[in-house]
Amino acid sequence: MLAALLIAAFSQSIDSTPPPRPPRTVAIDERLAADAGIHVGDRLLLTPTPGGDVGSAGSGDSVIVSALVRRRADPSEVARAEYRVRMHLDELQALIGYGDRVDRFAVSARGTAGTDSALRRINDAAFGFRAYRSRDIAVETSRTFLVVSRFHRAIGVITIVASAIFLLCIMLLKVDERRRDVAALRLMGISARSIVRSVMVEAALVAVVGSAVGVGLGWLSSQIINWHYRGVYRTPLAFAVVTPGIVLLAVSLSLALGLIAGFVAAQRLVHMSPLELLSGRREERSPAAAATAG
Amino acid sequence: MLLRLAWATLTRHRSRTLLAILGVAVSAAMLLDMVMLSSGMRASFRTLLLSRGFQLRLAPKGTLPFDTDATIPDASGVMRVLRTIPGVTTVSPVLGGQLHIVRGARTIAATALGVDPAVQGDYEITQGRAPASPLELVASDDFLRASGARIGDTLSAASGYDAQLRSFSGQRVLTIVGRAHFLYMPAEQRAVAIPLATLQQMQPGPATQNRDHVSLFMVKAREGEPVDSVLRRIETALPRVSAISTETAMRQVDERLSYFRQLALILGAVSLAVGFLLVTTLVTVSVNERLGEIVVMRAIGVARGRIVLQIVIEGIAIMVSGALGGLGLGLVTARYLNSILASFPGLPAAIDFFLFEPHDAWFALGLLTVAGILAGIYPSWRGASLPIAVTLREEAVG
Repeated sequence: MLAALLIAAFSQSIDSTPPPRPPRTVAIDERLAADAGIHVGDRLLLTPTPGGDVGSAGSGDSVIVSALVRRRADPSEVARAEYRVRMHLDELQALIGYGDRVDRFAVSARGTAGTDSALRRINDAAFGFRAYRSRDIAVETSRTFLVVSRFHRAIGVITIVASAIFLLCIMLLKVDERRRDVAALRLMGISARSIVRSVMVEAALVAVVGSAVGVGLGWLSSQIINWHYRGVYRTPLAFAVVTPGIVLLAVSLSLALGLIAGFVAAQRLVHMSPLELLSGRREERSPAAAATAG
Repeated sequence: MLLRLAWATLTRHRSRTLLAILGVAVSAAMLLDMVMLSSGMRASFRTLLLSRGFQLRLAPKGTLPFDTDATIPDASGVMRVLRTIPGVTTVSPVLGGQLHIVRGARTIAATALGVDPAVQGDYEITQGRAPASPLELVASDDFLRASGARIGDTLSAASGYDAQLRSFSGQRVLTIVGRAHFLYMPAEQRAVAIPLATLQQMQPGPATQNRDHVSLFMVKAREGEPVDSVLRRIETALPRVSAISTETAMRQVDERLSYFRQLALILGAVSLAVGFLLVTTLVTVSVNERLGEIVVMRAIGVARGRIVLQIVIEGIAIMVSGALGGLGLGLVTARYLNSILASFPGLPAAIDFFLFEPHDAWFALGLLTVAGILAGIYPSWRGASLPIAVTLREEAVG
């Protein structure tokens, strides 16, 4: 018995030598790895203050990079150029002297009802902190993009107004060019309604073909924009997306504008008599004559 | 005579001309807005940064001021070093934090700045006075509105909340002595400023913890002293902080808001192209309609150059009329667009994305005039170069 105790004590004294501590590991941002030339397996020194040393006050920690992390497509992170290091909670708490504290907990619940119930119960029981739905936080952190989205909408409205005027001008010119043809058609007995319809069909065709080209250009632009800004901000976020809804809206708007422009231009034409159209009177005066008169 | 002829041609198709002017006005408005957007943001930010005369900011190494929660330790030591650097005249330390103000049954959260009231560059007193003792504060309009407090009131403020003990930590009773306009705060931000030492002592953590830290230092260089030289001296003396000059800050802002400059460039170019196309189309159609007149003028001895000039004047007239109309329209739309972008979270209320400067208007007008000249040159030259006899015959026969 005594021998057994002695052996145990002896072996204890041997085993009491502290085992070598496994190296701490961290995961770092892909952009930090790229900018600083860090690779998986590299050893880094993490300190809570710039230039801190291991072993000194506010000491740092020697770690090994075990993984590189790609950023999520999170709008709230797009404009932030900071680097990120992911490490175990207890190690970070110890490194920065944070104590047994955390900034937030992420809680998973089953379904919407489960989320509502968990939210209610946590907020009823909690004192000094508050639970939020992830969706609400996402809305709050996406405010920057909501502002940008509103700005884009306003720019879109101005563009639509400019396009409408441009389209109306073009249609007016096109219809004006065919004054003599229209006069001939009217003299042959073709009704004003038929002429208005034909002009409107032409305007609709122009609008549809223009829309198709526009959708193609839009898609191409969105690809270039995404490629460019993903590179600039180093994020997988999609900056421009062409959805069926957007295509439908653009084509419908273009068609409506085209039809209105065609209708206005045609109305102007059919309200003149064929003889006026042929002679070019009413609005038109010879500039030379006008200059002389003036 | 030339002007009279151009005027007569333009008034001949009034609706067409008016529509073209309207189209150019919208394009000009957009162009002016985009020129304002591309330069206004920088000018506005620069004005804000230099508004209190501090040309340099010192932030924790590798960060921008208030970009992260990182702070500069041993603030007193850094202050001592800064005061020995030649060219440095004023150093203003700033610590950022949050305070919970208890008002009856409710608690109001406010952004707190710990400053040295004698040299601070973060706010301007609009009513009352600056804090003169450690337990005095100045507050923003929004804070006073939200809390219902007035100058002279005392407030119970805490810097943290201990969830385990269910009590506020770092509590002080502070007296409001002034109302202030915070220069770098977003609109509707509830903000207060208290003496730096008070905010440092209120910070959560064990009593033994060293609280001598700040978020940034603002530094004024002596007048006439090159700021870059002072910056280099600071970087040499204090390798553990990032010294940021106004130019560096501008570059960082440019980088972060490059999207808006690129958008301004693209939309400005598109606006100019649309205006150019509109006038080109109009002048081309107008020339085609008047081929008979043009060749008659050539036949009676009017020089080709004068005909080209007359048609170019028409293009310029449309462009300039549209541009003048677009100036007013552009200012109205710029104001509206600015109000949208002003709601960017965290953006100082004093920043304007669209800032009108007369040279912007001249630049936009100049671009449009050049576009008007270019729009008229090709169709007019083509029209004036047609063979006189053949064209006269074709026009006569129809």
